[in-house]
Amino acid sequence: MRIGLLTEGGYPYVSGDARLWCDRLVRGLGQHEFDLYALSRSERQEDEGWVELPPQVSRVRTAPLWTAEDDGVVLGRRARRRFAECYGELAAVLCAGPSEESSAVEADRFGSALYGLAELARDEGGLVGALRSETAVRALERACRAPGAPRAAREARVPDLLAVAAHLERALRPLSLDWYEDDGLGSVDLCHAASGGPAALPGLLARHFAGVPLLVTEYGVQLRTHFLSATEASPPVRALLAAFHGRLATEIYGRAALITPGNTHARRWQERCGADRDKIRTVYPGMDAAHFAEVGESPECADPDTLVWVGRVEPTKDLISLLHAFAEIRKEEPKTRLRIIGVPVGAEGAAYLGHCKALAAQLFPDEADGLHAVGDNPVSFEDIGGPEVPTLAEAYASGALTVLSSVVEGFPISLVEAMFCGRATVSTDVGAVVEVIGGTGLVVPPRNPRALAEACVALLRDPERRERLGAAARARALELFTIEQNITAFHGIYLEIVSRHPVRRVVLDDTTGEPLPFAVPAEAHMPGRWTDSGSARVVARGGPGWAAGPPVRANTPLPTTEAAR
Amino acid sequence: MSELGELDRPGTPISPGAWDVRSEEWVLGEGADGDEGWVGATGAVLKSGATTAEAADGGAVTAPGAADADDADEGEAPPARPHPTTAQPTTRTTPSPAQPATRTTPPPAQPTPPTPRRTAAVDPVKALMHRHRELCERAVDPLEIAAGLEAHGVTDRTATRFRHRDVFSLAEEMYARVSRDGDTPVPAAAPEAPRAGADWILLTLLPGALCAATVVGLRLTDGQPRLAAAVVGTLAVALSLRAALARGPLSTTHHSPPRTLTLTCWLITYALLGDGLLRAAVNGGPDALPNGTPDSPWPLTATPILALTLSCAPAAWTAHFFTTRARRKLTLSRGLEDFTASVLPLLFGVFALYLCALTALLTLTGTALSDPTPYAGTLTPYAGTLTLGALLFLSRLLTTHGFTHAPALVLTAATTTELTALATAFASRLPGCDFLGTPVETLVQTWGPGAVPALACGAGATTLLLHSTRRLTRASAHAPTTDQPW
Repeated sequence: MRIGLLTEGGYPYVSGDARLWCDRLVRGLGQHEFDLYALSRSERQEDEGWVELPPQVSRVRTAPLWTAEDDGVVLGRRARRRFAECYGELAAVLCAGPSEESSAVEADRFGSALYGLAELARDEGGLVGALRSETAVRALERACRAPGAPRAAREARVPDLLAVAAHLERALRPLSLDWYEDDGLGSVDLCHAASGGPAALPGLLARHFAGVPLLVTEYGVQLRTHFLSATEASPPVRALLAAFHGRLATEIYGRAALITPGNTHARRWQERCGADRDKIRTVYPGMDAAHFAEVGESPECADPDTLVWVGRVEPTKDLISLLHAFAEIRKEEPKTRLRIIGVPVGAEGAAYLGHCKALAAQLFPDEADGLHAVGDNPVSFEDIGGPEVPTLAEAYASGALTVLSSVVEGFPISLVEAMFCGRATVSTDVGAVVEVIGGTGLVVPPRNPRALAEACVALLRDPERRERLGAAARARALELFTIEQNITAFHGIYLEIVSRHPVRRVVLDDTTGEPLPFAVPAEAHMPGRWTDSGSARVVARGGPGWAAGPPVRANTPLPTTEAAR
Repeated sequence: MSELGELDRPGTPISPGAWDVRSEEWVLGEGADGDEGWVGATGAVLKSGATTAEAADGGAVTAPGAADADDADEGEAPPARPHPTTAQPTTRTTPSPAQPATRTTPPPAQPTPPTPRRTAAVDPVKALMHRHRELCERAVDPLEIAAGLEAHGVTDRTATRFRHRDVFSLAEEMYARVSRDGDTPVPAAAPEAPRAGADWILLTLLPGALCAATVVGLRLTDGQPRLAAAVVGTLAVALSLRAALARGPLSTTHHSPPRTLTLTCWLITYALLGDGLLRAAVNGGPDALPNGTPDSPWPLTATPILALTLSCAPAAWTAHFFTTRARRKLTLSRGLEDFTASVLPLLFGVFALYLCALTALLTLTGTALSDPTPYAGTLTPYAGTLTLGALLFLSRLLTTHGFTHAPALVLTAATTTELTALATAFASRLPGCDFLGTPVETLVQTWGPGAVPALACGAGATTLLLHSTRRLTRASAHAPTTDQPW
């Protein structure tokens, strides 16, 4: 089948988000044909070029989101009136606030306004100028001054209105694209948006114009990202934009055929924004297990007295707590060593790393084996790629125990890597840690060095248990977090969507261009159940008499084609 | 370490309440208290947490994340609860100030210091709101608080301490409870006015200076060198004009139709040579090409062109003034109507200012060049130049604000008028076409040849002025054009 992969600041670009995942997906599903529809986020991103594309990518269409050339479209009088109506409706929905009206009605109003604008953009060839025009600003002002508007919106001043109009214009740029024709997104069987928000907007429009089902994958919830990033603007601007992004997310989740969050956290946000539970399938991100195979299959190479911490050094990783825990550990097990392997992130991370080093030097004096040996600190700070730790796998391999001490964590990659390496882990209960680790490692509360220390000591003293936990962790990781798992899941989801939401297309005659009647048999649109659970028995023609009895569940299900003959 | 074996047990809290029989008693018995279930069994943690805080505070680092994390530690004491996954208390218990003392059950094996009895924090959510007050006051949506709390490490399991099912409902309570009565909207600070950069100020002076030099060169030379001076001067003035329009307040990022440039060039050329040609045409000439002097049969009038190039500087300054004042009014006005009402006088003022400057420059250059006032006795000697200046100024002002369509139209109309005047003057010489030249001839004889450009440009300028009062007084015309990142 043909899949339209929609990305925003993502896949084909070298510096795109989640490009690795998309690349693996496209390469892993070579039996399908992929059309890439990519929105670029900045000029720099466009200049850096694309990654190498596999042959199953049959077409790439890109559009910039960071700039909009004035398309010079001048709307006629009737189009202007349509635009004013749709935009006014959109603005009114954004300013409606939490009213007594049911949210379904609000969502419906938002949807109709959005699709009205999209249809107008398709008819007129672009809306860039109109979305920035005085008409738009006036519509926003009217909506903000309307009775019932939330307090923040009522306080909007002229610069706020202009800022909102400019932001909405940016957000609605996908409306002006020419992607929704029959030779574009209209020709795919399935739209797969690699993230929510702006990337899924073309998918929504393709669904509206051509009935193409939409699959939305979110590893980080776009709405949450918006809330965390948009903090500088004035309150009215933030209120209106929050309403817009919230309603857009609701619309996307509502219209999507299936939604695949990357973890439970994303799933919770999606459910909160109105996603139907039945449509959500959590698909964990996949990692390449091959790098860790050698280490994972030789647990004996670990140094039994070494703890390892791997990750990016940031204040949220709470290395201070880890060092205090390590001080406790050394009271019980004096031979233990701690290796902190990672690179600092930004200036803040560098300062934090310096602080951690100072604390380590304060807490732990250098030690030597004898009077004549050169001493060393039991805590070492190292980088991946150095002579001691050439690869990531070696980093995990060097320790018997991997520790994670974060206070804030999303999806803990380093924990998954440790699981692939078959190392026992002790981690704090933050983010998706419990979800990832399952029962295959120890979990302690965050900011609790003593609990962390006790858990580590328990494992250090019990090599057998350590080994058991490590093996279980590796088995769990191989089951849940491999690339194959990820790709297989998406393969199944594609098939599920296409079977449930087939695109109804009219087949055209090659020579005349007229629609061909009866080109698609009526059975293709047969409503209801194919497998009737009632009294009618379906038997393969010419089947033996004993097969006419009550249906028996076979190990290999009967292919439907055979049954329908 | 058998109890630590419990740590292997995965899971998340099934209910916000009890996790075993004993805790259920607490929940049922003292449910009114803030912290059901989360007992100071791991109270030891608090102390270690405090150590962490001290360590972080004492060190050289004052990373905001760390600081936040640390002060979150002091009151909220999330570590003070045993996590269901850990299920078992760590061994030592120390007094935990944030804990309801009544529920602290020291593990029997360990000697513990006496727990001070303190009334529990009555309202844990209030404490949480106090800690995140900036977030709460800023938030425009409960989800914004939820996102902020999560970024600070608050999870659903933390939210159960506040008797909420998840972070979302906790955030909703916080959003509902934060008082928004006192906060008055902070009047937005006036945006950074684009500073009058020295570069564009100098650049706007350049065309005038070069043009003056060219005029002087033409006056001083003769024959071949004069031609060379004319060519070099024209080139230099054109380049400097281009440079002056590329930067500063007269620069634009909007693409105007390509004909605008051609039309402008034509209008300026007409101001230089057109009047002479028209007069010559009406009188039966021209008999020779212009030689660059004002007193030849096809005279070259340098005063208008010199005044126009010199007026680049006042044009840029007034445009700058207009932009900055309009921006300020933008921030100060409450509604779109207010803004329109306040910008309209500004627009007229700026336009009048430019006209005054141009008039002054015309008088000045006229005196300096001691031109014989062209076509003395005519109504307004420099009306054509004035209206042309007004036309060009308004069209540039509109273009810089993104309205390129109307200027192009009006410039086309003015050019066509001038061309038609010339064409009819010449066409009237054809046999039987005398009537064609009558209007132009009458005009020239009544008001002088300057009347044609004065009428053409004057009509255009008036149209553009009317157009500007509608377009340039819109708020959307003054929107900052820079695209903010998402």
